[in-house]
Amino acid sequence: MMLAELEVKKEKRSNEKALKNLGEVLKVVFFMIITVIVIMPILITVFTSFKTLAQVGSESALKPPTSLYLDNYKAVFENGHVFRALGNSMILVIGAVSINSILSTMVAYCLTRFDFKLKKVYYLLFLIGLIIPGTVTEISRFGLITNLHLYDKLLAPLLIYVGADLMQIYIYNQFLEQIPVSIDESAMIDGASYFTIYWKIIFPMVLPATATLGILKAVDVLNDMYIPFLYMPSANHRTLSTLLLKFSQDPRTSSWPKLSAAVVIVMIPTLLIYFAFQKYIFAGITAGAVKE
Amino acid sequence: MTKRNATKTQEHILLITFLLIPTILILLFMVYPLVDLFKLSFTNWDGVSPTKNFVGLSNFKTIFTDSPEVWKSLKNNGLYFVMHLLFIPLELYIAFLLDERVKACKFFKSVTFLPYVINGVAVSCMFSFLYSSQDGVLNSILQFFHMNKVAWLSDPKIVNYSLVGVSLWRFTGVHIILFLAAFQSLPEDMVEASIIDGASSFKQFWYIVLPNIKSVIELVLFLNVRGALMVFDIPYVMTNGGPGTASSTFTLQTVNKAFKYSSFGMASAMAIVLMIMIIVITLGQKKLLNLKR
Repeated sequence: MMLAELEVKKEKRSNEKALKNLGEVLKVVFFMIITVIVIMPILITVFTSFKTLAQVGSESALKPPTSLYLDNYKAVFENGHVFRALGNSMILVIGAVSINSILSTMVAYCLTRFDFKLKKVYYLLFLIGLIIPGTVTEISRFGLITNLHLYDKLLAPLLIYVGADLMQIYIYNQFLEQIPVSIDESAMIDGASYFTIYWKIIFPMVLPATATLGILKAVDVLNDMYIPFLYMPSANHRTLSTLLLKFSQDPRTSSWPKLSAAVVIVMIPTLLIYFAFQKYIFAGITAGAVKE
Repeated sequence: MTKRNATKTQEHILLITFLLIPTILILLFMVYPLVDLFKLSFTNWDGVSPTKNFVGLSNFKTIFTDSPEVWKSLKNNGLYFVMHLLFIPLELYIAFLLDERVKACKFFKSVTFLPYVINGVAVSCMFSFLYSSQDGVLNSILQFFHMNKVAWLSDPKIVNYSLVGVSLWRFTGVHIILFLAAFQSLPEDMVEASIIDGASSFKQFWYIVLPNIKSVIELVLFLNVRGALMVFDIPYVMTNGGPGTASSTFTLQTVNKAFKYSSFGMASAMAIVLMIMIIVITLGQKKLLNLKR
């Protein structure tokens, strides 16, 4: 009797276990499908970039290249001043990230540590900045940029990237609020000035936040097409994004294999950043989305 | 007393020096363009001439009564909005699984977010190749299964769905990561307690998890409105709004009005309309979300 009952129980348990395993397998299969959907377009582009035009026309796009055919990459580098575009993009990235981190922490320091009349105005600006996307005001910003004689200069996108990013200040605010004011106070007793407190204590303490926000900003700047496209039309000032745009419109480079090579080149910087600093990217998004 | 005065002075100096440059930049590049946008929307400025003639509300009148192409474009934005909205339950489910409920969740998490990190122009080029009618990948797959070729980007009835597909590929991961961040911020015992109470997983999800991530749901809904109304680079690079104006979007029309046809006044009025739509739809969604609970 007892034995039979035990058997039944065992069977039931093993059934449950099998069902659970099946669920696990189904979940993994589901995510495998997602992975294929995400990876396939990228993989096909990489394959195509190593093929001749004739191969692209005759064989399946899913077939890996048989030899390391590099002429497409050669053509992209010969036609396109890739390094100049990379240089422009890097200037914008490094400029925007470093200026942003200093200015934003300065504002956040003022907003979290002192009381002053205009404080509410800044919070109102945060709200406006979040609701009204830059793209909308680009029409009127265009007149401003030409009036300031910034049109077709690297300084134009740089100033826009720095001046119109209130979200960063907002996130810094949240990080700064977590640093106890008692640290400031004990430094004050030791005779430190407010400036010293900012530079020697606050700025180093929010460096992890700076890393996170800087990486996110770098990806944004590298991938932005709209602002350089509007404000820097000349060939000298192309960034990676606008260079690729040019390639896709130019019949000399818009054949699929050559264009694929250009796409791969343009993808590489942000992909490298992503794989190297993923942890920070996710941390930054979490900080922006979830208020503790 | 003097010492206190000294710190007060120091505070003032610090506030002025620290806030001066950022405030100037914010005023110049954010506040001024916004104010100017309102002013321009009442003029017929062409973008170059020094004079700006005041034309009253006529730009707005033209938008609402005599711009069929603008409203047709807005309908396309509507498709992006609805399709991304329909994906939200799936995104929630994927995020829920990624929260330690599937093997190798770290790997799958980085795969999910990968498309967003890729340059938008690069994404558009990649998909132009997949969709291409001559040697495109999708059509060769269809042919392999003995099906007819589809004019993914040149059939006016299909082109918008093709483009929305690219948008979904690129941005779905962002929503998933935001939802995941919300799930991970929930206290662990909250969900566990409900499991002990014998709540079914659906009930757990509906009554316990969802209400507690409402702020992130609101954020995603808002980002969806903003993103859908501002779609620009995918149609610009892939079809330039074509064939004809079949895949044009509101922002594409605005940009064309300003920079192709030099009607900055008109474009400004369109930007104002866009802004108002973003605010109204966001508030509406917020109200709907709060009504439910």
